[in-house]
Amino acid sequence: MKPDICATVFSQRETIKRHFLLTVTVPAYFGEALPGQFVMVRPQGCAAPFLSRPFSIYSVQPRGDDTCLEIFYQVVGEGTEKLSKLAAGDLLSIRGPLGRGFDVPSSCKTIVLIAGGIGAAPLSFLAQRCREEMDGVELMCYLGAGTAESLAGLKRLEEICTEVKISTDDGSRGYHGLVTGLFEKDMDRYTDDTVRIYSCGPRAMLKNLQALLTDNRASCQVSLEERMACGFGACLGCAVRIRSHGGGFVRVCTEGPVFDIRDVEFSE
Amino acid sequence: MKNPVMTSSGTFGYGEEYADYLDIGRLGAVVVKGLSLQPKEGNPPPRIMETAAGMLNAVGLQNVGVEAFIEEKLPYLRTIDPAVVVNIFGNSVEEYGRIAAILNDADGVDALEVNISCPNVKEGGVAFGSDPILAGEVTRAVKSVSRLPVIVKLTPNVTDITEIARSVETAGADALSLINTLTGMSIDIEKRIPHLKNITGGLSGPAIKPVALRMVWETVQAVSVPVIGVGGIMSASDALEFLIAGARAIQIGTAHFLDPSAAAHVIDGIEQYLSEHGIDDIRDLIGTLRT
Repeated sequence: MKPDICATVFSQRETIKRHFLLTVTVPAYFGEALPGQFVMVRPQGCAAPFLSRPFSIYSVQPRGDDTCLEIFYQVVGEGTEKLSKLAAGDLLSIRGPLGRGFDVPSSCKTIVLIAGGIGAAPLSFLAQRCREEMDGVELMCYLGAGTAESLAGLKRLEEICTEVKISTDDGSRGYHGLVTGLFEKDMDRYTDDTVRIYSCGPRAMLKNLQALLTDNRASCQVSLEERMACGFGACLGCAVRIRSHGGGFVRVCTEGPVFDIRDVEFSE
Repeated sequence: MKNPVMTSSGTFGYGEEYADYLDIGRLGAVVVKGLSLQPKEGNPPPRIMETAAGMLNAVGLQNVGVEAFIEEKLPYLRTIDPAVVVNIFGNSVEEYGRIAAILNDADGVDALEVNISCPNVKEGGVAFGSDPILAGEVTRAVKSVSRLPVIVKLTPNVTDITEIARSVETAGADALSLINTLTGMSIDIEKRIPHLKNITGGLSGPAIKPVALRMVWETVQAVSVPVIGVGGIMSASDALEFLIAGARAIQIGTAHFLDPSAAAHVIDGIEQYLSEHGIDDIRDLIGTLRT
């Protein structure tokens, strides 16, 4: 965690409809960011909307002497709408890297990624790092979206993963139904402790997944999202109820955003 | 305090959260998150919602409780230079007194700030701070046991804040801080539910500054004890407005979420203003509003 910095936009482009890939030049320490961590972002000198917005880190890589941070996001409201107008040379205020990233033990042989919509973003970063650092690891990705046109981050995942299986709610591509339904068909493959499951997506999806894994031994971590004001643990706005914390509230930004799926109390 | 810049309770955690972001030593005082007798888990999410020029919060006074604070959080606060002000609240007049008594023995606490904006559970949930008699009783309960200076933090959700201010001053408050948040609401028009699980929440940020400033100005004229101005201060210029209106010190809260080093900028800006205007002593600026 470091002080807020003013960073320059390197590029921004719309990939699939209403989804943007934003590349920002950042200080070298961002290179230490872990998959699952996030940043708080606001256009520099912009009074509205009021708060910064949290985004998972999509990737960090060196580019010559610089370091480039990528954010991959969907326009869903005022903050993301404003952000999507930025172009090369514009300035951003960034705070991060923030939060706890995914745990991946080196003994892991199979990594399963279950992504719902823009939830693909942090999982893609995770996949990339695992591919780079874990020889011969099997990366199985289940990617779900509303429709074929909204399969976010598919191309990059196909480049990195061993296999990407697709589901769409409307059946326009791949399995017709929820991504958890698609995963459920293969679930018996993933039961021993050399398998690790990671997921990110809508709350309803994660809650389904939690129920599916009730009788399964495989470890599973999820990345959660909650409205944030500060992103570094001071305001207590981003509460989530965690079972191992005596059923009390912890902060998605600080104790998370990554949690053991069995620990999260989804019904509130 | 070495300067009039303090942090606002609830926005600065217990101090250590900001250690990486700001030279905490520069602050005049740190006011920590409000403490209750027992730990409080706070409200279920969603707890916050952005508004125009501000935000609503219904965090629900989540805190570790006064005992855990003394054991776990106070040690760090003893190491910092700024004055340490501990904000407290209770469910009843008697609870306020009990927390104050416990903090008497806590080494490292320089003052108490009494939050009277929370509901009086015994009186059906009416806020202590909205009734001048109750506000006075709470103040007296704390003052009668505490060895520390007592600041009482007033709620703006009243018809006449000067009435509460006078009552609290009479009851022995050493200073007043105002304002706490303004009660507000926001609605999701697609789901047709409030954005906050708690339905209503406290509004803070630039949106409330004009109200806070007006109330500070009114209160300064109504009481003799020092008044600390809080509400929507984002910059040195904002802070100076409060000082000119008569506040002896100011608190910065929500601004930290946008820029954790906001307080440092405010301190620098005030110093620059004083220098540019040839003012040697900030007291020559305080209360110099011409009306």
